[in-house]
Amino acid sequence: MDDQACPRCKTTKYRNPSLKMMVNVCGHTLCESCVDLLFLKGSGSCPECKIPLRRVNFRVQLFEDPMVEKEVNIRKKILRDFNKKEEDFATLREYNDYLEEIETLIYNLANNIDVIETNKKIEQYKKDNKEQITKSKSKIGRSEYELEEMIELEKQKEEERRLEIVKEEMEAKKKKIREKEALIDELTFSEGNAKNIVETFASVMQASKKEQKTASSKVNQFSTGIKFGNQGSQNYMPIPKIEEGPLYSYTPIRQGMDGPTPPSWRELQARGYISHVRVESGAERAGGFKAHVACLRALQESMAGLYYNPSQRQTEFTTV
Amino acid sequence: MTEKLRRYEKIDFLGEGQFATVYKAKDIETSKIVAVKKVHYLTMILQANKVLAFIRGNFMIKVGSRAEAKDGINRTALREIKLLQELRHDNVIGLLDVFGHKSNVSLVFDFMDTDLEIIIKDNNIVLTAANIKAYMIQTLQGLDYLHYNWILHRDLKPNNLLVNSEGVLKIGDFGLAKFFGSPNRINTHQVVTRWYRAPELLYGARLYGTGIDMWAIGCILAELLLRVPFLPGESDLDQLTRIFQTLGTPTEETWPGMSELPDFIQFKPFPGTPLKHIFTAASDDLLDLIASLLNVNPLERCSCDQALQMPYFSNKPAPTPGARLPLPTSVKRQPEEKPSLKRKLLESMDGASLAKRLQF
Repeated sequence: MDDQACPRCKTTKYRNPSLKMMVNVCGHTLCESCVDLLFLKGSGSCPECKIPLRRVNFRVQLFEDPMVEKEVNIRKKILRDFNKKEEDFATLREYNDYLEEIETLIYNLANNIDVIETNKKIEQYKKDNKEQITKSKSKIGRSEYELEEMIELEKQKEEERRLEIVKEEMEAKKKKIREKEALIDELTFSEGNAKNIVETFASVMQASKKEQKTASSKVNQFSTGIKFGNQGSQNYMPIPKIEEGPLYSYTPIRQGMDGPTPPSWRELQARGYISHVRVESGAERAGGFKAHVACLRALQESMAGLYYNPSQRQTEFTTV
Repeated sequence: MTEKLRRYEKIDFLGEGQFATVYKAKDIETSKIVAVKKVHYLTMILQANKVLAFIRGNFMIKVGSRAEAKDGINRTALREIKLLQELRHDNVIGLLDVFGHKSNVSLVFDFMDTDLEIIIKDNNIVLTAANIKAYMIQTLQGLDYLHYNWILHRDLKPNNLLVNSEGVLKIGDFGLAKFFGSPNRINTHQVVTRWYRAPELLYGARLYGTGIDMWAIGCILAELLLRVPFLPGESDLDQLTRIFQTLGTPTEETWPGMSELPDFIQFKPFPGTPLKHIFTAASDDLLDLIASLLNVNPLERCSCDQALQMPYFSNKPAPTPGARLPLPTSVKRQPEEKPSLKRKLLESMDGASLAKRLQF
């Protein structure tokens, strides 16, 4: 936030704490005083992208990123017309396609992709759906009203629940006192062992506590209709499980040698090949070099290609 | 040669290194995107030598003398460079073509969108255990192939592990690669970027084996887990200090012959930090792999095939398939068929019971 600066006059928030950044449809920012100066006549061009702007369209920037600001504005404008509801579609798939189309339009406008084409599409849509748009607009009002009603209902429920809790607490207190009295009565009048009596009472109390706990788990409801609490877990969207690929298993490298198979690392020692090679010095061994390596490589390379027959190869080529 | 020049149509400039300029280009014949590395004239002879060092077999070709090279690269040498194409593995960068123009040599490689360094440094990318496993498997398979063919890469670091938009990792930049296993060829120990350099190299070993590449793999694995370089030494001495501080100072028992190495210096004994404390989130099988890769004694360090057979790789979680590996936002994945994969996945999950409406 501190390094926010007007791109035109370079004033920063630091130098002018009352700096107010404004943004217009193009998504480029200007400070308030620059807006006053440049748009004295009510309209002018954006100093950055030169597109004609109206002064009335300048708004205070809410988001730090002007691109976000721009997108939010475009979204607001588009959703005003693209206001079909889920109920307006026969299948969910169609609704999703519709939503995706909206997103594409918004994305295109926000990123200046085929702006003319996109605007044409929007105009076409407006023309085609004129009636539906106005109808949906009134519907939106209704849904907002419904929401308010729901909030009101929720408040009432909240109040009821609060009273209930107070009542329950009172009851519990009373019960405790009663139980205590019963225990004292029992202790004073019965002839059994005092310790046993206390124990049986304690266990009874514990059991009743547990019962209460299980009973008091409640389901709540948000105004949006999303349930929370420990019920209705099927209402959650399942977390998309990341599909796992197959587990890895090692396959050794196989390469055509065109020759006899050279001895393996172990055979070097067993068959005595290694005794014909200079033994590595201490320093060489410490460096990670072993005579085996040199021996193995020499053997491999001496055997590679021994079966190679150039004349055979030639005929192969000519026949192809 | 000019038709070759025309075959690769420059699209973009990718970068300029010390020895070469790299362009993104389009192969007109196959309409494949490739990377063309144009080797600078002065270093050309040097580079050509490096390239020739790959050619499998016993024939080493003499690159023409300086006088010969003045009018382009020696013709036989050019023909032999083509043999590099024999080195073919999914996880090793493919040399597709070589051509010369005027006094330059251009090498044509597979085009790779990004590399592991960029992925590690990208804070927007979350690397899961399965992702790391997938990267490690691909790296080790490529390296196993190189080692099998007696080639040491000698410059493994995240920057040289290239990743394309399909999530395929390929080992690249063979500027320092060399054959190994010859008992009397002296190698330089000034190889591998310092942070990934094995202790035996820091001690000046002149004959070494696959261990140096394995050490680098260990450092890369640690970096994948920590998302910062594991042992960022500021000098060679500092590098050794850091290694021993984290892994413990070796002794003649744990690393026989170490005091005979040319640049050996006795360090004060550090106890080392248990790996479990460094990689707190790593599973036990993974810690086993790290411990085996970062063994101070090169002969005890595991080889590629041993590493790949360790339980870590066959255990769960399974490695992420290439197409689902994370990519930096700058790299665009090939557009998926419609409807998008995400939606399809979700719908198959819950039978599409919810509208995917964005709430603002």
